[in-house]
Amino acid sequence: MNNREFTPESEYTYDRSSVWRWLVSHAMRYPMHVVVGTLFRAGVVVAAVQVPKLMGDAFDAVAQANAEASVLLGFGLAILGISVLRGALQLLANYTAEIVALRMERDVRDELYVNLLGKSQTYHGQQRVGDIMARATNDVKQLNYMVNPGLLLLSEWLVNMVAPIAAIGIFLSVDLLPIPVLFLILFLIALRGYLRRLTPVAGALRAQFGALNATLTESIAGIEVVKSNAQEEQEHNRFRVKAEDYRDLFVKQGKIQALYLPLLMFSFCLALGLAHSLYLYTNGALTIGQVITFMGFLAMLRFPTFVSIFAFSLVKLGTAGAERILAILNAETEIDENRAGIEQRIEGEVVFDNVSFAYHGANTLKNISFQAKPGETIAIVGQTGSGKSTLTRLINRIYEVSDGRVLIDGVDVRVWSMESLRSQIATIDQDVFLFSRTLAENIAFGVRRPVNREEIEAVAKQAQAHDFIMSFKDGYDTVVGERGVTLSGGQRQRIAIARAFLADPRILVLDDSTSAIDSATEDQIQRALRNILHGRTTFLITHRLSQIRWADRILVLRGGELEDQGTHDELMARSPAYRNIFAHRDERYTAALPATLVGE
Amino acid sequence: MGFVMDGLDADAYDREYSDRALLRRIITYFRPQARPMLLVAIAIFAGALTDTAVPILISRGIDLVVANPATQIMVLLVIAILVLSSVSWGLNFLRQWLSAVAIGNVTLQIREDAFNATMGHDLSFFDDQPTGKLVSRVSSDTDGFAETVSLTMNLISQVMLVVLMGCVLLVINWQLGLITIAMAPFVAAISLVFRRIARETSLHSRRIMAQVNAHIEESISGIAVAKVFRQEKAVHDDFVRINRQAYRVNFRQGIVLNTFFPVFNATAGIGTAIVVYFGGLNTASGAMSVGDWYLFIQALMFFWFPLTQIASFWSQFQNGLSASERVFGLIDAEPRVVQTGDAPADDLQGGFEFRDVRFSYQPTETVLPDFSLTIPPGESVALVGHTGSGKTSIVRLVARFYEFQEGQLLVDGRDIRAFNLPSYRRQIGIVPQSPFLFSGTVGENIRYGRPDAKEADVLRAVEHIAGGNWLADLPNGLDTDVGERGGRLSMGQRQLVALARVMLHDPAVFILDEATASVDPFTEIQIQDGVEAIMRDRTSIVIAHRLYTVQRADRILVLDSGRILEEGTHEMLLAAGGHYAELYDTYFRHQSLEYVESVIH
Ligand SMILES: Nc1ncnc2c1ncn2[C@@H]1O[C@H](COP(=O)(O)OP(=O)(O)OP(=O)(O)O)[C@@H](O)[C@H]1O
Ligand SMILES: Nc1ncnc2c1ncn2[C@@H]1O[C@H](COP(=O)(O)OP(=O)(O)OP(=O)(O)O)[C@@H](O)[C@H]1O
Ligand SMILES: [Mg+2]
Repeated sequence: MNNREFTPESEYTYDRSSVWRWLVSHAMRYPMHVVVGTLFRAGVVVAAVQVPKLMGDAFDAVAQANAEASVLLGFGLAILGISVLRGALQLLANYTAEIVALRMERDVRDELYVNLLGKSQTYHGQQRVGDIMARATNDVKQLNYMVNPGLLLLSEWLVNMVAPIAAIGIFLSVDLLPIPVLFLILFLIALRGYLRRLTPVAGALRAQFGALNATLTESIAGIEVVKSNAQEEQEHNRFRVKAEDYRDLFVKQGKIQALYLPLLMFSFCLALGLAHSLYLYTNGALTIGQVITFMGFLAMLRFPTFVSIFAFSLVKLGTAGAERILAILNAETEIDENRAGIEQRIEGEVVFDNVSFAYHGANTLKNISFQAKPGETIAIVGQTGSGKSTLTRLINRIYEVSDGRVLIDGVDVRVWSMESLRSQIATIDQDVFLFSRTLAENIAFGVRRPVNREEIEAVAKQAQAHDFIMSFKDGYDTVVGERGVTLSGGQRQRIAIARAFLADPRILVLDDSTSAIDSATEDQIQRALRNILHGRTTFLITHRLSQIRWADRILVLRGGELEDQGTHDELMARSPAYRNIFAHRDERYTAALPATLVGE
Repeated sequence: MGFVMDGLDADAYDREYSDRALLRRIITYFRPQARPMLLVAIAIFAGALTDTAVPILISRGIDLVVANPATQIMVLLVIAILVLSSVSWGLNFLRQWLSAVAIGNVTLQIREDAFNATMGHDLSFFDDQPTGKLVSRVSSDTDGFAETVSLTMNLISQVMLVVLMGCVLLVINWQLGLITIAMAPFVAAISLVFRRIARETSLHSRRIMAQVNAHIEESISGIAVAKVFRQEKAVHDDFVRINRQAYRVNFRQGIVLNTFFPVFNATAGIGTAIVVYFGGLNTASGAMSVGDWYLFIQALMFFWFPLTQIASFWSQFQNGLSASERVFGLIDAEPRVVQTGDAPADDLQGGFEFRDVRFSYQPTETVLPDFSLTIPPGESVALVGHTGSGKTSIVRLVARFYEFQEGQLLVDGRDIRAFNLPSYRRQIGIVPQSPFLFSGTVGENIRYGRPDAKEADVLRAVEHIAGGNWLADLPNGLDTDVGERGGRLSMGQRQLVALARVMLHDPAVFILDEATASVDPFTEIQIQDGVEAIMRDRTSIVIAHRLYTVQRADRILVLDSGRILEEGTHEMLLAAGGHYAELYDTYFRHQSLEYVESVIH
């Protein structure tokens, strides 16, 4: 089993070793449906073969001039009965196939979704959301089409191809077989060539759809930037290039389908079959009724020949989609949730033991060692890009260290159960993400138990969010736009703060969480924070001096290295880099400051 | 089954079109494809002729050979069939290939139109439209649109076949022919019954797929939050709910679509039975030859098959129509921001005047109740105030992202609506509060507003920002891959790239909305010089909570709930000892070491 960060409560396992095994294991989740459906389908074919047979018999009856009305009526009624029976069987067969197809669509989408939830952040960082969407909706839909009508037509094709030929051998004469059999062989050879040509195009077509979707998604997500730079034209061109490539592949596929040789072969088979049967007739080996029945059987090959173009294309597109889905399912991800790991209450000691980390390539963090005692507040300072956020992401194992160890309460984070670890650590990310749900739901996102309105309001008040929430007509039931776009930047951050407060974590990470909030509001949040932080280990990334000053210990990062650490006084005394940060600021402030304030 | 339909309502901008209006619209998309389509039609017609000819040839051949079993006749017959079917194959090739070309082009066209329509909407449209739903319309529903094309072409050929075969049937034996043709109305009636249901179920099915898409888009882009709070299970539960609903909705559609053919086939079987019976009687009585009877029955097959296709056409076509309805709904959605003029803004001076502007995003909450402000060209204005007081909103009105409800907004003395929007926006450079980067390299992102900029210009813009040191920190400099939304850069780096983008753009009006909020103060101070240089000679609007970035502004406006409380220079406002002085005081307390120390000791 692959690594993964999430396992649902109940899960069905599928065989992912190859596309076809995987598809079969999905279908075999519903064995009864498959078996019963196949029986229905067989019934349909058997019934269908009866009709030309009956008609041939009717011809013979008429040709031998013993056709009384009652005999003909018998034939008529038999055909009628069989047709209706065939319709009913077909209906049942279609329904079962549709059910299997739809369930498979549902199951595959769920399987993919669960798998995506279990993938590491490293993995997600390399994907494009639009492409994932294309896989999870459109490629999965292709699987549905592949089963119904694709595989349905295909099974029908197989039977419809073989049954008339078998019927010729059984009901008529073995002598008539060479031509249809030859046709079948040539057909299969041509089909192989067709599939060979179709495979790469179908794969490319699905991949191109993903690319198209990704470009589109990005243009829409970045609409504000597009507009403010008046680059609609450029976006259009980008999109058009993708859409044109898609069209070219589509036309290419169409051309391959149009060049389908078996259709031509079928006509040849018909002509030669006619010649052959007439020859046998003139030799007296066949009756005219048999010639007609024979031609009737041959004519039955037209439909499967024709249908095979679409059936095989659907199957090809389906497997191409399946390959894209399997590519995600089978992609390795480095972090596992470690279900058997340690589960206990976190006291809050955090130790970095010579930790190095690289996103890819060069190290972003180099040989970091420090210790945070339970309940301490650790401030992390450093320039943009020095690795502050990165450092915090190693604590809750969003990323895995490349070297060294991160210990919480003396236990390596890799030994902790992820469930226990992450549920006790809350982060307010720099880049706040809200879901397009109500404000109450967003605040309650971090807790698993049901929460009542009072609790939500209490944390919202502490995060200074209550007032603005109440100013909205729907209050806590206001639904925010995607990512929270309908809130101001500071409002979003305060919702995120409330969300983290409510989660009641043992370790709290505040990554520049008040950058968009004015100082007065921040002041109030700070006061609430003091109470909340009490007894919890806190990592604080901030550029505000007052907060840094209050921290028990300060880590000074520079270019991914821990330049120094200690209390404010220690650092002021010995670290030029630390002093440097303040020096610059002080100069500027003091210069701009009215004398009254300085003197205060 | 009421719950199956929960949440499947139309989007706000959806409309209902009459079939006729839809068809007319669809046809306009085909007009440019007239030539290939004409060729396709000819190929279809000729193909139908040859297809019809083959069974006739066979049956006549049988009759001939029965009458006179000569090898010559048989050879001729075979050759004739071979030639005819080769021609038929060639025609079919043309038809399939050209159809693919036509469909490909039409789909491309509607995709582009849908894309442009989406891009043309103002930001209010995107506030309540999840990306995933829009994407679904532009990429998937347009495919459904193409379906109408292939179905229609198919229909044309099927109708031709039916008419031809109907004639053939009548010629062979008019009584039997009439009986057969009399079945057609029944088939038509059944198909009309299905039509209604098919339209509704397929529309629902499209809507639910759009929702699934939106859910996946949102939860995958927010996956980090789910991880951080270990809420994968809750997110999954949500998905399971919507996925199940999708199953149920699709199930209804599936049942409807899978019912036609069996029903039609059974109906066709009844027709065949009748013909076998009466035909047999006629043949037995000598009124008809065996060959004719055979021919009739063969022809009957050729008659039924296209007839069921035609009958199913209407229901399947509904799927395409519902897709078209969604695409056209998107294309026709009325933008709220509408320009009345098309004046170029190439020599924008940058004077702005808000006159009693009232603005709200939603009718229920007014953001700017009555806002008046004059910014003369070249002035630098700073907006400060509590979060949510409407600072960003003002800037958005300047950029004309949203339409205001009342009052006037004049740019260089002219109504802002009089300008050509792209031309106007090109003169305005905004660094937004949350920087958005496109996937690609840092260099590509800086070049975004000026794709033709030279490398040297890009480097100069980078140089302007803190001496460009930050660029050296990136593994590949300008060629560093930023990832989707810039996710592979630190937040501060993203802001710097967004800033460099506008620096390179060199706009007439410069707007910074918390442009350096995530940048450390050390770097920020280094940026100041570059920013101040660019602000010096043009109109600029700066929003910041870090008050030292606003001190140098010509004028500072203090905003509260969409109203201007105070305005003046830094010194004036401090001296006045009002709201600004208080804000500044608080801010200063946060940032002054001495002050902090004095409180502690
Ligand atoms: N997902 C990622 N993939 C690759 N590189 C990354 C990724 N995230 C950050 N980096 C790089 O790692 C370095 C450290 O980034 P990090 O986000 O930790 O900086 P930071 O100190 O938090 O900066 P800021 O103050 O701007 O938030 C940066 O050079 C950045 O470009
Ligand atoms: N797209 C939107 N749709 C609906 N309401 C919005 C939208 N954007 C902002 N608002 C609301 O308008 C008000 C003003 O928001 P605005 O973004 O202008 O504030 P701001 O002063 O820039 O705040 P901040 O300092 O936090 O960025 C807020 O109450 C906010 O909730
Ligand atoms: Mg950071």
